[in-house]
Amino acid sequence: MATAAGFDFRRWRLVLLGGLLVGIVLFAAIFAPWVAPYSPFDLDVAKMLQGPSAAHWLGTDELGRDVLSRAIYAARISMQVALLAVTVGLVGGTLIGMTAAYFGGLVEQALMRAMDLLFSFPAILLAVVLMASLGTSVLNAMIAIGIVFIPGFSRLARASTQAVLRQQYIEAARSIGMSDIRIIFREILPNITAPLMVEAAVAFAYAVLLESALSFLGLGAQPPDPSWGNMLSTGRGFMAQAPWLSIVPGMAMFICVLGFNLLGDGLRDVTDPHMRE
Amino acid sequence: MSDTVIQIAGVTKSFLRGVNAVDDVTLSVARGETLGIVGESGSGKSTLLRMILRLIRPSAGSITLDGRDVWAASGRDLKQARRQMQAVFQDPASSFNPRQSIGAILAAPLEVHGIGDRASRARRIGETLERVGLPATTVSRYPHQLSGGQRQRVAIARAVIMRPAVVLADEPTSALDVSVQAQVLKLFREIKDELGLTSVFVSHNLAVIREVSDRVAVMRHGKLIEIGTAERVFTAPESDYTRALIDAVPDPFRRFRAPVELESGS
Repeated sequence: MATAAGFDFRRWRLVLLGGLLVGIVLFAAIFAPWVAPYSPFDLDVAKMLQGPSAAHWLGTDELGRDVLSRAIYAARISMQVALLAVTVGLVGGTLIGMTAAYFGGLVEQALMRAMDLLFSFPAILLAVVLMASLGTSVLNAMIAIGIVFIPGFSRLARASTQAVLRQQYIEAARSIGMSDIRIIFREILPNITAPLMVEAAVAFAYAVLLESALSFLGLGAQPPDPSWGNMLSTGRGFMAQAPWLSIVPGMAMFICVLGFNLLGDGLRDVTDPHMRE
Repeated sequence: MSDTVIQIAGVTKSFLRGVNAVDDVTLSVARGETLGIVGESGSGKSTLLRMILRLIRPSAGSITLDGRDVWAASGRDLKQARRQMQAVFQDPASSFNPRQSIGAILAAPLEVHGIGDRASRARRIGETLERVGLPATTVSRYPHQLSGGQRQRVAIARAVIMRPAVVLADEPTSALDVSVQAQVLKLFREIKDELGLTSVFVSHNLAVIREVSDRVAVMRHGKLIEIGTAERVFTAPESDYTRALIDAVPDPFRRFRAPVELESGS
């Protein structure tokens, strides 16, 4: 943690670099109507499949829509989905993991075996199955991806809680007669947030990828709403004539995922006491 | 017999593989007295203390506080028992939540037991801090900003802020420097006398035990080896083990005496 001893740039450089990339994506997502040069829906068939030009920096798609504008609006959907999905996974997983570790015994066995069951499915398969049963929409994509994240967060929360439970302040809390709920939320939760935040940053990157995969398969954002996944999906058909249709959403995903991964790795290094000199 | 506060009868704790951490211990603590429990690591003294505190469930036997069975209590009775009995733990580094200020830590017992309102709690915290020799500004400090000795003063404050009848101390000074240890012990004794506390004080350190205890219990391998007044146990120990323990204390004025040999390993 940063103390009065001055700012250690080397320690924080991954966080800063990741934060910068994430900041660019978030800025584009939040201020899309002002940042994007065109509407993402404006058709102009006369201009279809044009290469990058002064008017359309990153070219136009098969319906003459501005690719840059669509990529910027797609960031909105990606960020919304990732934010809600990570929240679902973080809150659900943390509650389950803390409950399992705190009460132990049969409760722990039941919860953690259920998590193992969820974990045993490949993430994309689980998401597709959930989408198929929930129906195709952006909201359902958020929920499905969130459920995919629950087992990972619950394991992390359980392991972190077990470490905190060995601390004497938990015994002290019990001996003054503190209720279980209060111990869980006041004594344990604040002490396990650091690893969970690191995991959340990495999960954010993964959520962006999963959302894109679902949209690519036609299960997430529905056309004409732009999403990096469905842009990539249509771009695939024009790979030879108009490679920018695939390259632009691909690069956008790359920047976004790289940013969140760097941020996650950087936060882990910064919060890990073993990494401190 | 004088007024008994804590009665421990036939208490046993077995962990896995049939080892008894505490083996059929029976003893009692009278009102206002300090019972010192001494023994080497693994003698079961801390386990016994945790069973009184209702943190570890005994495998057999009963523990009563003011005639109430600690382990049978529930609901209001349990809360009442908890309120009567407070603890000071060993490790000043891990016995406080690192994310809470000292003010929040000291307020917790009062909040849990619904004592006073915000203002009266704050006043009580201030008074208690002053009593343990810490400045009032300590409320806004965090545990890592305090020294080991200061933290143990806070630990004592946390234990007495509820005005309990009984304070259980688990090696409260063993992680401290000797000079700080003496100050904390002195504070403990003063507060104990002032509030007329009954206490159980667990330590492996004979000097510390002698300093604070009225009566002393010696434990080894989970069994109670002997129990008696501090004076008697230290001057005329009944068991060889106690004698060996006393002789093992380095004493610059006694270095020419032959050590007592024990048959089974130490």
